[in-house]
Amino acid sequence: MKAKVDGKDFEFDAGKSILVNLEANGIKVPHVCYQEGLEPEARCRLCLVEIGGQLVASCSTYPKEGMAITTRSERVNRARLVNAELLMSEHVRTCFIQNKEHELCRIIEDLGLEKIRFDPTKKYKVDLGASVVRDDNKCINCGRCTAVCAKVQATYAIDFAERGHREHVTPYSEHNLPEIACTKCGQCIAACPVGAISEREHMAEVINVLKDKRKHVIVQTAPSIRASIGEEFGMPPGSLVKGKMVAALRRCGFDKVFDTNLGADITIMEEASEFLERAKKGGPFPMVTTCCPAWIKFMEHFHHELIPNMSTCKSPHEMLGVLAREYYAPNEGIKKKDVVVVSIMPCTAKKFESTRPELKSGVDYVLTTREAAELIKHFGIEFKSLPDEDFDPALGISTGAGAIFGATGGVMEAALRTAYEFGTGSTLTKIEFDQLRGMEGIKEGSIIIGGKEIRFAAANGLRNAARLLKNKNKYHFIEIMACPGGCIGGGGQPLPVSREILQKRISAIYDEDSKLPLRKSHENPVVKKIYAECLGKPLSKKAEECLHTRYFKREPF
Amino acid sequence: MQILRKTSLKALEVAKKLGPEATINLIKEKGLTGRGGAGFPAGLKWEMVRQVQADEKYIICNADEGEPGTFKDRFIIENNPETLVEGILIAAYAVGAKKAYIYLRGEYECLKESLQKAVNKVKRNSKSDLDIEIFLGAGAYVCGDETAVISSIEGLRGQPRSKPPFPTTNGLFGKPTAINNVETLANAPLAIMFNDWNDNLRLHCISGDVQRPGIYELPMGMELSVILNLACPKNPPKAVYFGCFGGCIPYEGHESLRLTKENICGEGCLLGACSMIVVDETRNIVDISTNIAKFYEFESCGKCTPCREGTMRVLALLQNISMGTAKMDDIETLQELAEVIRDTSFCGLGQTATHHIINGLEYFRNEFEERLISAKKKKGRKAKGKR
Repeated sequence: MKAKVDGKDFEFDAGKSILVNLEANGIKVPHVCYQEGLEPEARCRLCLVEIGGQLVASCSTYPKEGMAITTRSERVNRARLVNAELLMSEHVRTCFIQNKEHELCRIIEDLGLEKIRFDPTKKYKVDLGASVVRDDNKCINCGRCTAVCAKVQATYAIDFAERGHREHVTPYSEHNLPEIACTKCGQCIAACPVGAISEREHMAEVINVLKDKRKHVIVQTAPSIRASIGEEFGMPPGSLVKGKMVAALRRCGFDKVFDTNLGADITIMEEASEFLERAKKGGPFPMVTTCCPAWIKFMEHFHHELIPNMSTCKSPHEMLGVLAREYYAPNEGIKKKDVVVVSIMPCTAKKFESTRPELKSGVDYVLTTREAAELIKHFGIEFKSLPDEDFDPALGISTGAGAIFGATGGVMEAALRTAYEFGTGSTLTKIEFDQLRGMEGIKEGSIIIGGKEIRFAAANGLRNAARLLKNKNKYHFIEIMACPGGCIGGGGQPLPVSREILQKRISAIYDEDSKLPLRKSHENPVVKKIYAECLGKPLSKKAEECLHTRYFKREPF
Repeated sequence: MQILRKTSLKALEVAKKLGPEATINLIKEKGLTGRGGAGFPAGLKWEMVRQVQADEKYIICNADEGEPGTFKDRFIIENNPETLVEGILIAAYAVGAKKAYIYLRGEYECLKESLQKAVNKVKRNSKSDLDIEIFLGAGAYVCGDETAVISSIEGLRGQPRSKPPFPTTNGLFGKPTAINNVETLANAPLAIMFNDWNDNLRLHCISGDVQRPGIYELPMGMELSVILNLACPKNPPKAVYFGCFGGCIPYEGHESLRLTKENICGEGCLLGACSMIVVDETRNIVDISTNIAKFYEFESCGKCTPCREGTMRVLALLQNISMGTAKMDDIETLQELAEVIRDTSFCGLGQTATHHIINGLEYFRNEFEERLISAKKKKGRKAKGKR
């Protein structure tokens, strides 16, 4: 289909909105409320173009053959500027003058808005949660967080209340976030263009504990951090920066830098054994993975009938946190009470997880990828010019199976690599499970273990998870990750994100896996050593005590 | 009055004899146009809904009459509800709907009981199995918008949706839905029954500075002075507001303007549902604009930026002008805001929320400037006195 844009001919796709078509043709249109892959809300009224003398929102208008579209005219510019000014008028003023870190502030800069004639009027209390903090005084009512919460995560934790200028985003019935059914996944943080929703920061606490000379401060990094943290330092998405990341953290003053991938390997040992145990006993199936704390919270609120089906394994960083205290500290002659474990996670829900009483958490502080980058910048470390260093070997050797935990389908793939070899006693020749790779919402497949067909599935995004669970009885083994793309798309990851960026991070993770000498969890020498010296065997009494947990039914509100 | 004539279910009988298609054609031939404001032909709307294949279809009678200065739907519901209900039965029969909603304005709760009685009576007498539910709104002006009515009945926030898809294909609960105004539906049986039925006769709601405010059934296209004289203005009129949303024109120089949709549009106003609020020399346009701006600030649903933030800023600017705290160039700011709100808002509410300011500034700019200057002087004197 042909369309004329500012007098020039372009080829347009009739099935896509004018906004998408314009951007595909390299014509920049400012927009705030529109999100890739979701129905346009058409709320912000910045993506205006002129068609037939009318100003229309290009995100919700579709092209017609031969349509003449004006994107640059006095009228379009003025309307965009006034609406940007109105949007900005309720956002904190310091943001407009000082920093340009928020998406909206960058849009405003591109538009050339110089002065805001209207003063902010809002006065809301800050809603402080264990994971997520909401500051409505920064909110511009674009509706991105509520759309993600409802349409992607099917959680409906936040929505708009009241009308007109009094309209504001609020958790259910004006409660605070900690009181309601919120999964803490942090996708609303990733969606927010103005930083009105952010993670609960623990950086100051970590800096304090680093200053304390009596403490032995251990840091561990999740599988997905090495594929994303480079973006915070201006590196292209998909840069694998394991060595630099370790070097930077060491320079921050952490006594030991450990690898959560090892925790992932141990998770696999336990989970694969648990699965085979269930196979022997005949159920309950499907068994569902529990690495994702946002999924756990979602399940406790909305699908608690699944509690018997859940694997009892703690998440990998919790396992490693416990092992740091129970295995590493005694070996090195360090007092348990002096050990402080900091986890760097792509995730805000992990912050909440570490406060769960039943876990008796092995982790003291959780930092998101963004906070970790800020910490490194705080210490004035030139990240890009650092040499590559290795994790501390005591708890720092890991396999490719642990590495792929960061991508959707990765936990399942890693578990199957081990479960197959444990179950059959023979070697798995093709260890890549292609049917579990990629960004699709729901992936499925099957494998024969010991003469039995094992059907498995993986879902990412909680709406997809809810969809998958409708047919749960079809499967034996289900992996669920709350965030789109898995942990690489977590609520604590560098911003902005897009499908393309997620794809690049995923590729980096599979790349790491393919280059590692060991790619199955049970081949990890440190894992073997830990079981030999401390835990005995998977699912032993000691292992149950250290590495497994329970779940609780919660109210759906 | 034409609108008060009774058809006593005979129109429904005629429609049933004709069959749905022929009924729609008859309505099209008679030229029944929508009375809600947009003026879309009712027969065409019904035909569009009829032609969509669906297991369920709905009729919504839009009785969310929220426009200040408009009270014709109330008049019909109070005085001829049987004909209205018959109109709903005919519409449902024509499009093939099994369920109809009457979306009654929240503030009209007092009418619900009598309307329910009329529904029961008509259903009993016609032996119709159409399910008619009176759905009480929660008092939001924006729910007069057809997509917002749908959201409201579905139990969602009363906010408008993007069109397309149009309600005729994807309406209530995603099913094809015909949404008609009360006056339109009440006219349907009359159009079928009476050969002398005239589409041009409309209910005009006249209020404001007149001695005989009320409903006048008049043909479209009468001269403004003739209409106003019927209502006996108290003083020489200064301006006429077409509801809140339609904007205003000065009376002087427009006495012989014929009241048609096109003529009013030509003056930069909207005729809408033929409501007129008369304003005379005893009033200041700034006060009236402030009052209307308060209404829109309160009624904006909050969905789109220009309407949500803009209506509030417009009100603040008007109040600042009256208090003398505004700067002289704030009148320009007011004009710019008003134009952007009109041009870029999501739905009809925002698009019409500032007509009164744009017209006010066009015809009565001096009143805004004089008000600001005198308020500034007053403020200055006060400040001096305090010192």
